[in-house]
Amino acid sequence: MKKKLISIFLAAGMVLSLAACGNETGGQESSAGSDTGSTQESSAGSEESSAQESSAAPEADGEPVTLRMAWWGSQTRHDITVEVIEMYEKEHPNVKIEYEFFSFDDYFNKLKTLQASDQVWDIFQLGGNFPMYMDKICFMDEFIDSGIVDVSDIPEAYLQITQDIEGNQIGLSNGLNTYGIAYDVDMFNEAEVPLPTENWTWDDYADAAMKIMEKTGHYGSSGLSSSEFIAGCSTYIGQQGKVGEYGFFNLDLTGMGFEDPSMLEGYIQMRADLIKAGASPDAGAEMEITNIENDFLVTGEAGMTWVAVNQFPTIYDICKAEGRTLALAPLPRVTSDGPSGAVIQSSQMLCVSQDSEHKEEAAAFISWFQNSVECNQVLQGERGIPVNNTVRDSLKANLTEGQQIMYDFVDLIGTFEVPEKVNVLSPDGQDQVVDKYRNYIQDVVAGNMTAAEAAQKTYDDAAAIFN
Amino acid sequence: MKSSAQTIRTSKVRKFIYSNNTVGHVFAAPFIFGFICFSLIPILTSFYYAFTDYSLGSKTSEIVGGRNFAMLLTDDIFLQSLGITLKYVFISVPLKLAFALFVAFLLTRKSRLVTLYRSLYYVPSLVGGSVAVALVWKQLFARKGLFNSVLSDAGFSTINWFGDTKLALWPLILMSVWQFGSSMIIFAAGLKEIPTSYYEAAEIDGANGFQKFFRITLPCLSPIVLYNLVMQTISAFMAFTQAFIITQGGPNNSTMMYSLYVYNQAFKYNNMGYACAMSWFMLVVMSAITLIIFKTSKMWVFSEAGE
Repeated sequence: MKKKLISIFLAAGMVLSLAACGNETGGQESSAGSDTGSTQESSAGSEESSAQESSAAPEADGEPVTLRMAWWGSQTRHDITVEVIEMYEKEHPNVKIEYEFFSFDDYFNKLKTLQASDQVWDIFQLGGNFPMYMDKICFMDEFIDSGIVDVSDIPEAYLQITQDIEGNQIGLSNGLNTYGIAYDVDMFNEAEVPLPTENWTWDDYADAAMKIMEKTGHYGSSGLSSSEFIAGCSTYIGQQGKVGEYGFFNLDLTGMGFEDPSMLEGYIQMRADLIKAGASPDAGAEMEITNIENDFLVTGEAGMTWVAVNQFPTIYDICKAEGRTLALAPLPRVTSDGPSGAVIQSSQMLCVSQDSEHKEEAAAFISWFQNSVECNQVLQGERGIPVNNTVRDSLKANLTEGQQIMYDFVDLIGTFEVPEKVNVLSPDGQDQVVDKYRNYIQDVVAGNMTAAEAAQKTYDDAAAIFN
Repeated sequence: MKSSAQTIRTSKVRKFIYSNNTVGHVFAAPFIFGFICFSLIPILTSFYYAFTDYSLGSKTSEIVGGRNFAMLLTDDIFLQSLGITLKYVFISVPLKLAFALFVAFLLTRKSRLVTLYRSLYYVPSLVGGSVAVALVWKQLFARKGLFNSVLSDAGFSTINWFGDTKLALWPLILMSVWQFGSSMIIFAAGLKEIPTSYYEAAEIDGANGFQKFFRITLPCLSPIVLYNLVMQTISAFMAFTQAFIITQGGPNNSTMMYSLYVYNQAFKYNNMGYACAMSWFMLVVMSAITLIIFKTSKMWVFSEAGE
């Protein structure tokens, strides 16, 4: 009898604990349920506005649809994107969007596993590395033709930046972007270094970094390592010869865009020299930079950093709150009268996935995301300067200081001479090349390798992608 | 008649339900299910993929024979990561066991607080391989982290832990040593099992503390040392979180642990087939080392039953 009682208690305990486990998920579900409940309530409450909205979006009364969406980025981006998703759900009570957000690296790890299991999010964010995920992208052309996606207000040139070589519309660009050097004006003045000009050179850059290090004890230049390869190394190739003569990879991404590995040597030598002198973070310090918000420029420990300019307003505001002034300069050139190597490109885009069961609804969301003025008033061009003319004009009307600098900067880059065609895409396999390239630089710093050897090895690694 | 047949049947059912075997299997079922679905099947498929050029992105994979295994021999980073992992295992496991034994030995005193201390020392192992601990570790050893600020306050020059290829592995080893709790608990249990009469006899014979430890405690504890050694060696070979979170293999691959490199090949560089081949190679290495431990154990593990 006693035994039985004990076993009953034990069993009861187990059931309880199971129920407790179950409760957690149940709790989430119910909270999600109450979420949609409240959105329905509020949309019913403001009948007028919902009527207006439903005329704008005819699919609003459709079947209940759940879309999955994901992106990478900084905390600011997560917050505002969640906000606009909630806006969209309010306007379209039948649509529920489940979102996930990641840091850059984690995003692509997750995407790769989803790609393998054919479960890629309905709406997902991609950058210049999209060729790797080509078989998961549902082209936008059919949605544009059928009118689900409205591109009437997006200039042809800005549609082209998210097309593949054959002209298929891969996605809609989240914004225009280009690389630049963000710098701390006071630190330049303190170190008595002339401020960067439109056509400063890498020599000026290295010189400024060294002087800042010597005079202030801070790093001269810092930077997210994920930006460095494209903003620095790859651009350095494009700046040599005539405008458009060279690129790191060729235009159709089938081979290298230059033949002489020694073209990389000067850049690698400069990077190694800066790291060796302590004017640029070494590998250990670089690991401490996890996103642009804790870059050493932002924490006040460096004079310059690479940025994709859409990141600039965020860090400008952070530094301004601390009483420091940031400014934006173009990437340095190889020679001051040579090509700038700068390219205005799509920061990232939103794509519809082939795995999606609701491709049209996903496309409708993307269309709204890019075209709605209301939505972009929240997004504030954090992903780059909007491609839609009306949206861009409406944002331009009241810009913050940081945004104003970004807009002016992109206008400035627009005046530079650019090649007719450029390739900003990354081939499958580039990650490994970049990781090895970074290690070669460390080998040069440690004296295990000359810059010439590092250049040769980087070239061979990159060329091996196409074998 | 009918009712008796029924009773026979129900009693048979009863017998079946109440038999030890049935109960055992029912309770083991969740584990067996999990093991088959999440371990056995993936293990077998990975063996197949090791001979293909499978990548997560492409749906098709071609059988390439032993190419992946041949590639291992020419891959510098692979060889480097193997060396680093062996170094990590050979340094961290003995240190951890020694430390665990030391603490367990201290905690055998008869005091009310012993249980509290034991639980406290076990906490780091509970949070074990977690990301949070690794992040804390990263901060502690950062350029302006706790250790460096203590050093600079004390007037020493700061140490660039994660920027120096010679140093970077040590914080990771320290972190593993710090998580000595589970070995300690097992050691503590083992220490309790040693009959006090041995010590009393030794004391009467005039043995000092060292003699008691090396002549009684260690031999009696040797089966448990063996168990801990095997378990910790295996788990040290699989160390991943520290390297992934804290250093990501840097600087210059000096902390590129084997499992991290497998992960990079599989998920970052899209060479799943190659990564599978690496995993199977690791299995061979780990089995060999475990086998060596078992074979040599006859020489140093003391068994009371005698031969």
